[in-house]
Amino acid sequence: MSNDLLIVLITAITFSCRYLFFMKSLPISLSQRVQQLLQYTAPSVLTAMWVPIVFLGHKTEGAAFFHSPFLYAGLITVLASLKIKNTLAVVVVGMGSFLILNWFL
Amino acid sequence: MASSKPLIEELDSTAPMQAENQQGNLSIIVRGFIDMFPLCVAVIPWGILCGSLAIQIGLSPWQAQAMSLFVFAGAAQLAGMQLIGLGSPAMPILSSTFVISSRHLLYSAVFQSYVKNLPLFKRIVFAFFLTDEMFALANAYIAKHKRFCYVYAVASGIAFYVMWNLATLVGIVAGNNIENLQAYGLEFAIAATFIALLVPAIKDKPVLMSVLASGVSVLVLELLAFEYALIASTFVGMFAGYYFARKSSAIMSAALKSEEKKRAVRGEAKQELRDE
Repeated sequence: MSNDLLIVLITAITFSCRYLFFMKSLPISLSQRVQQLLQYTAPSVLTAMWVPIVFLGHKTEGAAFFHSPFLYAGLITVLASLKIKNTLAVVVVGMGSFLILNWFL
Repeated sequence: MASSKPLIEELDSTAPMQAENQQGNLSIIVRGFIDMFPLCVAVIPWGILCGSLAIQIGLSPWQAQAMSLFVFAGAAQLAGMQLIGLGSPAMPILSSTFVISSRHLLYSAVFQSYVKNLPLFKRIVFAFFLTDEMFALANAYIAKHKRFCYVYAVASGIAFYVMWNLATLVGIVAGNNIENLQAYGLEFAIAATFIALLVPAIKDKPVLMSVLASGVSVLVLELLAFEYALIASTFVGMFAGYYFARKSSAIMSAALKSEEKKRAVRGEAKQELRDE
């Protein structure tokens, strides 16, 4: 199969996954229970994405767990997010602490 | 980013009260760009990696850019290109694309009630820009303002799209000459942003339990090198939240019922007293 056709098909798959539930003619309607379940999608999926970076990030750098800048900067970011309301400020604190720790550790 | 503005204005022209909204929309668009900024920074090395990998496996520069322009899904692009590089037949490539993209089905379901009744063009635009990052920001916006904002979501999605494609272009130009960008640890920006968006949203026990369940299970599954760790632990977290919400509402309704019963008993007792 040519690469051009492959790119078209990959595009069709990724777009379909994003569009499916916006179809007007979709025969599936989401029940009350499913809606309740979906309420927890965002916290669950975000956690499933940041936890491996913070707790397993040391593996990509070949560092030891207790010397990992990912771990300590992650914990600092969690603490900062409890104290500071502004999201961007939390990210700046987190990234700043990561860059400093990455330098030292 | 400037090139994306005409598209936004075009979208807004269908909205009612256009003149009054314009000032408000502009600040919402700027808000979306600013909020997406850390995620744009975090995605730069991945975009560069995607572009250079595409060249290395023998795609033409146009095909390499087309992947980012049309597919616009980092994980699916990287996995697909690794398989193409190995000379894989089409079916395994397409099925791996589907497995990796399946979490977007969940995102689409989450936003269904807000998007389903919009005109076709708006639905297509929203779906096209619906990435992990846009999903995260749009959800945080709902949590904060108690309402869904289409302009905010799409503006942040477009900012991310522009950055993703510029980074891909840099990767294509650099080709084989890129250093190991992953060593700089830029992916920490993703973690920091997601933490900053997530923590303020933990307002009750069910959400906290969904976070804990998802976090513990993703660590276990990643350490076991389970291929579908992300989507599996997302489901674990969702069911944990659902379970604890049902449990606490069951306790609440049981408490209400027993309260009602007491009242009823008291009422009966009073009635009996009166009858006597």
